[in-house]
Amino acid sequence: MKKLYILGLMAFVASCKPNIEPEKPTKGDGVDFSSYVAVGNSLTAGYADGSLYRSGQENSYPAMLAEQFKTVGGGVFRQPLLPGEYGYPSAKLVLGSHQGLCDTAASLAPITYTGALDTVGSSINIFNSAGPFNNMGVPGIRCIDFVIPGYGFLNPYARRMYVSPTGSRPVDEIMVAKPTFFTLWIGSNDVLGYATSGGEGPTAPGGTNKISDVDQFNAAYDSVLSNLRRKGAQGVLLNIPDVTSIPFCTTIPAKGLMLSKNDANLLNNAYNSLNGYIRFNEGANYFIIEDSSVPTKFRHIQDGEYILLSTPQDSIKCKGWGTKKPIPGKYVLTGNEVTKIKTATAAFNNIIYLMARREGIAMVDMNSYLKTLQTGITFNGANFNANFVSGGAFSLDGVHLTPRGYALVANQILMAINNKYKSTIPLVDVNKYKGIQFP
Amino acid sequence: MKKQFLLMGSLLLSTAMAYGAAFQLNLQGVRQLAQGGTGTAVPWDASTIFYNPGGLSALKHVNAYGSVQFLSANTRYVETPSGSYSADSKAKTYTPFNFYVGGPVRYKSKLSLGLGVYTPFGTGVKWDDNWRGRYVIQDIQLQSVFFQPTASYRFNDVISVGAGFVIATGNVKIQKAIPLQSGGQDGMAELKGNAMGYGYNIGVHLRANDNIQFGISYRSGVKMKVKRGYANFTVPSSLSSSFPYTAFKSDINLPQVVSAGIGVKVTERLGIQADANFVGWSSYDSLIFDYETNTASLTDTRSPRRYKNTLIVRLGANYLIGQKWTVMLGAAYDPSPVRDGFLSPDLPDNDHFMTTGGFVFKPNKKLAIMGVLEYVFTPVREGSLNEAQFSGRYQTKIINPGIGLNYEF
Repeated sequence: MKKLYILGLMAFVASCKPNIEPEKPTKGDGVDFSSYVAVGNSLTAGYADGSLYRSGQENSYPAMLAEQFKTVGGGVFRQPLLPGEYGYPSAKLVLGSHQGLCDTAASLAPITYTGALDTVGSSINIFNSAGPFNNMGVPGIRCIDFVIPGYGFLNPYARRMYVSPTGSRPVDEIMVAKPTFFTLWIGSNDVLGYATSGGEGPTAPGGTNKISDVDQFNAAYDSVLSNLRRKGAQGVLLNIPDVTSIPFCTTIPAKGLMLSKNDANLLNNAYNSLNGYIRFNEGANYFIIEDSSVPTKFRHIQDGEYILLSTPQDSIKCKGWGTKKPIPGKYVLTGNEVTKIKTATAAFNNIIYLMARREGIAMVDMNSYLKTLQTGITFNGANFNANFVSGGAFSLDGVHLTPRGYALVANQILMAINNKYKSTIPLVDVNKYKGIQFP
Repeated sequence: MKKQFLLMGSLLLSTAMAYGAAFQLNLQGVRQLAQGGTGTAVPWDASTIFYNPGGLSALKHVNAYGSVQFLSANTRYVETPSGSYSADSKAKTYTPFNFYVGGPVRYKSKLSLGLGVYTPFGTGVKWDDNWRGRYVIQDIQLQSVFFQPTASYRFNDVISVGAGFVIATGNVKIQKAIPLQSGGQDGMAELKGNAMGYGYNIGVHLRANDNIQFGISYRSGVKMKVKRGYANFTVPSSLSSSFPYTAFKSDINLPQVVSAGIGVKVTERLGIQADANFVGWSSYDSLIFDYETNTASLTDTRSPRRYKNTLIVRLGANYLIGQKWTVMLGAAYDPSPVRDGFLSPDLPDNDHFMTTGGFVFKPNKKLAIMGVLEYVFTPVREGSLNEAQFSGRYQTKIINPGIGLNYEF
C-alpha cells in the first residue's frame, strides 16, 4: 500500500514535467554522407575579412554542414587548417578606430589586424600530415581553372593542400577524398575579378581579371561535375551571386557626395568651361568618375553604376577624388561593365541550372537568396541584411561572409538536401556563430 | 563625405515585453479555484469581492480571508522545423496571493463594505541566457497587485448589487540579448518599470430560491501605464553612444472580463456551479515602447500582438462530508488568445485545460481552512513568432497548490 502511494506520487511529479523530445534526424533516401567533399573557392574555404585564417576555416559552411551530417552518418571532415588567426598570406581586417588624413576625429572602420603573426610556415604543403582534405575550397580559383594541370603551382592555397600541386588538375584533386556526397559552389571568381578590379580586367597582367569565356566555363563545370558524379555521389550545386548586390559595390552610394552651397558653387565655377556638363548642387551629388568612352574622359556617375569599396577614402576626402578629380576607372563599375557582369552571371547560372537538371540533383539559388538579404533576413530574432558592417552577414571585405552569414548559406543547403532526399537533418543554429565583432 | 558603413541599422527590440497570452491568473479564491474557477453565482466568503462584488452583501457577517498559491510552470521548447534542439525554462515558483475583508456594516444591514487585495495578472518565464531564443527573450517577469475597495447593497432577499474601484499597480522586468557582439559576447537589453492603472468591478447577485443562485459581473479593462521605466543596454563600447541609458514609456491594456454563473444546490450536501467568462483580450493589440532618447539604432518599437477575445467555461462541484469537511472538484477550459504567427517564447501560450480539487475544513463555525490543487494541461503547440522568425514546439505543465483561511466574525 505504501509503495503504491510512492509510485503514485512519483507518477504525479513526473506528469508535471514536459515530456516532448526533439525528433531524431534521419538521413533520407539514396544518399551517403560518409565522405563529404566541399568543392569551391574562397567562400567554401571560409575566407573572410580579406584573408584566410583558422577560425574562419573552422566556421566555414562546409564545416558546419559536416557537423550536421554527423547526426545522419557523416564521417570525418578534414580541413587544411592554418596555424593561426593572423591571416594568410596577408593580415585580415578587423573593426577598429581609424582616423584618416583629413578626418577631424577617429571613427569605426575596418583596419589591418595587428596581432601576432601566427601563420608563419603556412606555405608548406600539409597533405601528408593532415590530408586528404574534405574542404577543397581554394580561394581565388575560377571554374575554368579546374582543368589546368599544375594549378597548385599558381595558387598558394592550392599548393599547400593538394596531393600533387605541380602536376595535377584541381578536378583530379577533388576526388582524392573519395566523395560520397559533395557541394559544388564554383564560378564566382569567373566574374568577381573583373568586378573588383573595376572592369579593368582585360589590361591587367595575368589575365585572371577577365570574365571567363562561357564555353570554357561550361566545359570546365561539366568536367568537375561529371568527375564528382562518376561513382554515383549525390550532391548539391550552388549558383553564383550577382556581385553588384554585395557591399563591395553597394556601400558607397553613387549619389553620396554631400556638398555645402559654397563648395557646390566653387566646383561649378571650376567646371564652368564645360557649359553645365558637370554640375553640383547643395546636398547630395553624383560623384565624378573616369570614363574613357566620353570625349572629356570623365562624367558624373549615374544610378546603377558602382563605386567600389576599395576606393581609398583619403583620396576622396583629401585629394578631391570624385569632385576635382574623377575617381579612377579601376574603382568604378560603369553601366557597360555592370551589363557585362550581369550577362556573364546569368549565363554561368544558366549553365549551373542546366547541369543540375541534367544530373537530377538539387541546386541552391544562392543568387536569389543573397538578394533577399538586401531586404533583410531574420533568424531567431537576429536581423541580417546586405549593409556593410551593420548588416551582420558580410565580413569586413564586403565580399565574403561572416560566420553567421556562412551559417545562413549552410541552412539553405540543408533545406535543399532535406527537400531532395526526404531527410530531416537539423538546421544550423546561425546565432551560435560569430557575427561582426565590434571593439 | 560621411562614412556610410557606420550607419547602424535599427535593431529589432520590438518583442521585448511579454505580457503573454493567458497571463490572467484566475486564482482569486481557494474555494472557487477548487471548483474549476467558478464563483460568479455563489458568494462563499469575502473573496466574492473579486468574483462578484454583488455577492458581498449576501454574507451575513464580516469575513476576513487570506490565501496564497504556489504556482510552478515548466515549459519545454523544441526547435522546428528540424528540431534537434530543446530547452527547458528555469524552474521557479510564483506566489500569487489574495486578501479580502468585508461584510455588512452592521448585523443585518443591507449595505456591505469590503476591500480586496489580489493579483489577477502575472507571468514570468526565464530561459538560459545562452539559449537559442535569447534575442527574443531571456527573462520576463510581470507582476500586478490590484486594490479594490468595494460596496455592495442588498435590495431584498433576491437581488443584491456591488461595485468596486480598482487601483492597479504592477511592475515589469525584461531581459534579452542583442545581436551586437564584442569578442564573441552578445550585447544585452534590460527594461524595468513600474505600472499604474485604474478600473472597476461591478456585479449583480440573484438568489432565485434556496437552491438556485445566479451571478453576473463585469471587470473593466485596465490600462496599465508604465510612465517612466528604464532601459539599460550593454553593448560593445564603440557603440555605446548609440544605446544610451534611457527612460521609456509603455501602456498595456489589460482585458475586460464579463462573467455569468449559476449555482445549484442539488441536495443538502451537493452543490454544482457553472461559469462562463468572456475575456476581451483584443485590447492587447500591440506593444509599444517609446524611448525618451532615440538614436539611429534605438528607435521606438511597435510589436503586434493581436490577441483575440476568448470565452472560458468552468464547471465545479462541492460535497459536504459530515459537519466539518467539504471536498471540491472542478474543471475549466481556457482557450488561448494568442494567434498563430504570434507564438512567442516570452509566453508560449496554448489552450488551458484545468482540473482542480480541494477541501475546506471547518474546525468551528467561524474558521475555514482551505486547500486547493490545480493541474493545468496545455496541449503541445507548434508555431512561430513571425516577427522574429522564431519557431518551435512548446509544452507547458503547471502545478499549482494553494492554501487559505477565512474567518467569519
